[in-house]
Amino acid sequence: MTAYLQVTDLNKRFGGLQALRDCSFTIAKGRITCLVGPNGAGKTTIFNAITGFLAPDTGHVAFQGTSLDGKTPQQVVRHGIARTFQNLRLFADLTARENVLAGMQDHVGEEPFAAIFRPIHTARTLAAKRLAALDVLAHVGLQDRADTLVRNLSYGEQKLLCIARILATGADLLLLDEPTSGLSGAALTEVMALLRRLQSEGKTLLVVEHNTRVVQQIADDVLFLHHGHLLAHGSPAEIIADPKLAEIYFGGAL
Amino acid sequence: MDFLTTYIALAEIYVLLGLSTNLLVGIVGIFSVSQAAVFGVGAYLTAFLLMHSSTPFPLAILLSAALCILLNIIVTLPSLRVSGDYFVVTSFGIQLLATAVFTNWTGGTGGANGLPGVPAPILFGHEFIEPTEFMLLSTIGMALGCLCFWLIMRAPFGALLRAIREDELAVAALGKSVLRAKVSAAALAGAFAGSAGGLYATFLSFIDPSSFDLDASILLLTMVVVGGARTLAGSVIGPFVLLALPQILALIDIPTTIAAAARQLIYGLLLIVFMLFRPQGLLGEKL
Repeated sequence: MTAYLQVTDLNKRFGGLQALRDCSFTIAKGRITCLVGPNGAGKTTIFNAITGFLAPDTGHVAFQGTSLDGKTPQQVVRHGIARTFQNLRLFADLTARENVLAGMQDHVGEEPFAAIFRPIHTARTLAAKRLAALDVLAHVGLQDRADTLVRNLSYGEQKLLCIARILATGADLLLLDEPTSGLSGAALTEVMALLRRLQSEGKTLLVVEHNTRVVQQIADDVLFLHHGHLLAHGSPAEIIADPKLAEIYFGGAL
Repeated sequence: MDFLTTYIALAEIYVLLGLSTNLLVGIVGIFSVSQAAVFGVGAYLTAFLLMHSSTPFPLAILLSAALCILLNIIVTLPSLRVSGDYFVVTSFGIQLLATAVFTNWTGGTGGANGLPGVPAPILFGHEFIEPTEFMLLSTIGMALGCLCFWLIMRAPFGALLRAIREDELAVAALGKSVLRAKVSAAALAGAFAGSAGGLYATFLSFIDPSSFDLDASILLLTMVVVGGARTLAGSVIGPFVLLALPQILALIDIPTTIAAAARQLIYGLLLIVFMLFRPQGLLGEKL
């Protein structure tokens, strides 16, 4: 059986820093996998390598048996993988709905020819997509904020919008870079509930997560990364019970 | 009467040019200071075709637009590799290069002496020689330009361009091609600038490099800043306000040499004052 996502022997060097070192792992379909490790372990670098933002020096990435080597970020999205960013990267001067629309694929009138010469068709399909965008926003609980500029949304709302925006791409594998960081209380609970809901709807999630409590509550599998190398792979209970890993994670030991 | 119609026709041509600049600088965030160069290529090509061949006027405009589409794509492409401040410098170089060619290629452009005697436009057998007649053409040109701009901005293409201005990386992460969108926007801006150039040459019947130099590019940016970046209304009002300035100065009884210097001074002041106190211009959004 081929793995849903297969990462094989990734290596990436930035000058004197070996960001990824023979990093290999697989992700199973329909599961929530948390990627953990101390700062600088290479978690975001892995995201960049999978999504085409960074060409690894060596190694391969395959999704559902198809190689993603050398693909551009646009092509990776077409294959059904979308990612969020740790620093959000929302379009702050656009509304929440426009951000979601930007994530939707195959717009009519997304190039000037149709926009100018087929204006009615463009306007009609856009009206339909605007309604669809509202559904996506409702999915993360932001339907009431649809026409608010992103800069006026709370931080928690912006984090939810990041997820809505990649949901709009129609991707099946979602790569979430610290979706709960900076959140607490109700906002944190809300994001965790959303992640579980997405799983129940058939999405597969790879999540960079720092909060061990969150990992325990949402993860099916945990990948433990250290110095760009996969140190351990197991259930949350197994990973947390391992004193060696705990020391690396909390003790900052080299 | 001619005084007023000349002003209106000229302002309308500059609106077309302002749309081109606003699309690149305001909407996509490609800070080009070489739009006057592209405008100039359109003007010279139309002049050349009408003076030295039997090309009909509409075809000359179309060919000028086509050449400027190509040219603008080429001069905008560096923005994919170098971002922000660095592109301004690149674009600056392109403008200087163009001015050098306009001034020194005497065989094609007439050099510093310019090209006198560009024939007036002929359409459906009618020669549009009076400013009032020409105003009809420039009004149609401006209206078509505004219509295109409006249709684009309300379509998903407009949203994509605004998103690119904010964060190219995020646009790529959503499966959209930044290259394609930028090339499309550059092509449109080129078409606007090229056809504006053709109208300009046939309206004034005389062109020389001073209309297409760095000062002209900066005047264009001033129009966009004062009118208001990113909006259609801003692109329309900017040229009308700024071109009224020399007319008003002409009404005041001062020597022409002082008037020319005063004009430059006022343009510069306007740019500074608007950037400091009203960056959104008269009818625009914050740049």
